[in-house]
Amino acid sequence: MTQRETIQRESDGAAAPPAERRLDVVSVLFRFQSMLGLVAVFIAAVLFSPHRGAQILFLTSENLFNVVRAVAEIGIIAVGMTFVILIGGIDLSVGAVLGLAAVGSAVLMVENGMGVVPTVLLVLLIGLVFGLLQGIASARFGIQSFIVTLAGLQVARGLARIWSGGQGVAIAYGDGPGEAPVAFSLLGERTFNGLVPIPALIFVVVAAAAIAFLRVSVFARHLYAVGGNQKAARLSGVPVNRVKIAVFGISGALAALAGIVHAGQLNQGSPNDGAGYELDAIAAVVIGGTSLAGGRGSVVGTVAGALLLGVLNNVLALNNIDANIQLLIKGLVIVAAAGLQRLRPAL
Amino acid sequence: MARPVPIALAATACAVLVLSAGCGTTHENAGQAPNAGTNTKCKGPNGHYVIGMSQANVAEPYRQRMNDDIRNAAASVPQFEVKFADAAQDNAKQVSDVENYLTQQIDLLIISPNESTPLTGVVKKAYDKGIPVVVLDRKVDGDAYTTFIGADNTDIGRQAGTFIAQKLLPNGGKVVELKGLPGSTPAQERDAGFQQAIAGKNIQVVATGVGDWLRDKGQQQMDAILKAQPQIDVVYSENDPMAEGAYLAAKSVGRENSIRFTGIDGLPIPSGGIKAVEDGRLTATFVYPTGGKEAVEAAKKLLIDCQQVPKKQTLPTQLVTKDNAEAVYRAANGG
Repeated sequence: MTQRETIQRESDGAAAPPAERRLDVVSVLFRFQSMLGLVAVFIAAVLFSPHRGAQILFLTSENLFNVVRAVAEIGIIAVGMTFVILIGGIDLSVGAVLGLAAVGSAVLMVENGMGVVPTVLLVLLIGLVFGLLQGIASARFGIQSFIVTLAGLQVARGLARIWSGGQGVAIAYGDGPGEAPVAFSLLGERTFNGLVPIPALIFVVVAAAAIAFLRVSVFARHLYAVGGNQKAARLSGVPVNRVKIAVFGISGALAALAGIVHAGQLNQGSPNDGAGYELDAIAAVVIGGTSLAGGRGSVVGTVAGALLLGVLNNVLALNNIDANIQLLIKGLVIVAAAGLQRLRPAL
Repeated sequence: MARPVPIALAATACAVLVLSAGCGTTHENAGQAPNAGTNTKCKGPNGHYVIGMSQANVAEPYRQRMNDDIRNAAASVPQFEVKFADAAQDNAKQVSDVENYLTQQIDLLIISPNESTPLTGVVKKAYDKGIPVVVLDRKVDGDAYTTFIGADNTDIGRQAGTFIAQKLLPNGGKVVELKGLPGSTPAQERDAGFQQAIAGKNIQVVATGVGDWLRDKGQQQMDAILKAQPQIDVVYSENDPMAEGAYLAAKSVGRENSIRFTGIDGLPIPSGGIKAVEDGRLTATFVYPTGGKEAVEAAKKLLIDCQQVPKKQTLPTQLVTKDNAEAVYRAANGG
């Protein structure tokens, strides 16, 4: 098997050693570990769902789309986070960047009278540049990404507070001054007969693009190489620093995209928004089977991880489990998923 | 009373908009839903009703107390089953919480919004489905809700100012003001009411500290103010925890007996302001009612009696001093 094929298999979340392609039960199970978790939680949700007559409330189409809408922002962030974690890094700034982007979207449209397209592009650029700067600080100066992005979190929060004047900027729609273009309100809407939420569609598109990108691009090979063995990657001519900087750029841009979606869904940009979202995103990535040590994992897994968390949240809420107990259950599920990773047969 | 950033801006922006189009998105405004505002849920005393309570953040004692008040009041109504959700101060989570209630097909929604604008859309969605909506403490934009129950912060500030001007400092004096989180509506309103009440009363605000509603911040601010101000007669704090912090600061330099402290909120819990008044640390506090009991009463009227309720219900405050602290505490806890 060639190097390229190996990497492609890895990007599928493959665990089976290429030399011996025994499709024994264990390796298949672990290969689809993140999917299995999602399926298990989904079945549990169906079983434990409250009923209204013969109707299983969890399975109503509106509820299922609610789940996807609810995880859309975390999911978009988690896709970017997957790139960062694949090289063995971490990005703690994404929640704050989401807040900054939400504020930016609101202020640019409401106070500066900018149109939707320039606003979106500028906000995405801000996220991209913010991420790239963190990548440069981490790669060029050899500071651990944990510290760099922890600092980045503070900086982004501070910028969001300054830009917004310390309070939420409401987005009102219309053509007049102080009003945002009506087109932006699409982000809070549903399409296909008022069923499919736009943020869910955006999440699906982002995830699909990332999956495709990781399958075909040269960059993806470099990514897994850097995450697997940095020294070996460098020696074999992979531009390690450039790869590192790029993944933080991707993560920042996607966090900004999530922030735009956030502003559109809530009709407001608040500097405090997105607090703690980075942890949910990391949880989704880890549940999805991506190793925090880098080099192994997939976006498919992350999507499954995000949906797993969403389904879990949803069914706990539908059953009105006490909010404090919910935290315990979610914690246990994350530990269980991480534990499964350790059990995974070595490559 | 650590409330998250409220939205003067939102209110202004929406006030402008309400005049023309309302504050929802185009989609929401596109067609008037058939059930909008009509109460189809009343089935009389023989019905069984599921009420969903969506709380912004139970980590705040005031909001935990609000939930407890609802739970206790509903316990005496056998037809009611109340469910609770906690948004943990996250607007997006609170939107999901309400959506989940809609999936469960609740009969009535009680919501204390984390912030107004982000929750307006989903509250309207519930209201348009014919579900009566009781909004507590913080409003939503527009008028797509059944009833709003809350207290008047400006009035409470005014009453505190009047109490200080008439009872504590009839001959005038020097006051320190401790404010809540900058930009938050209660912080602005409690200040505005207070300033109105002391205007022209020979009362001098010698220093103002910003304590963000927090006990430790109130203490830090007061530490500095005590060093700068040799004479302080009264500390007016916009909530009880900051007043308690200020008391601790004064005590550490031995000045707690020459200064009187007043707070706001008067939570009837062991760590709340009423106990602090009873124990003599605070001279007075003003009860900021949670509206939990009143929300259940409104639900009873809407669901069991099939009656209308007023669109807005403003709850009165109550002055708590050493004379009535014990009685108020007991009454608030059903004793």
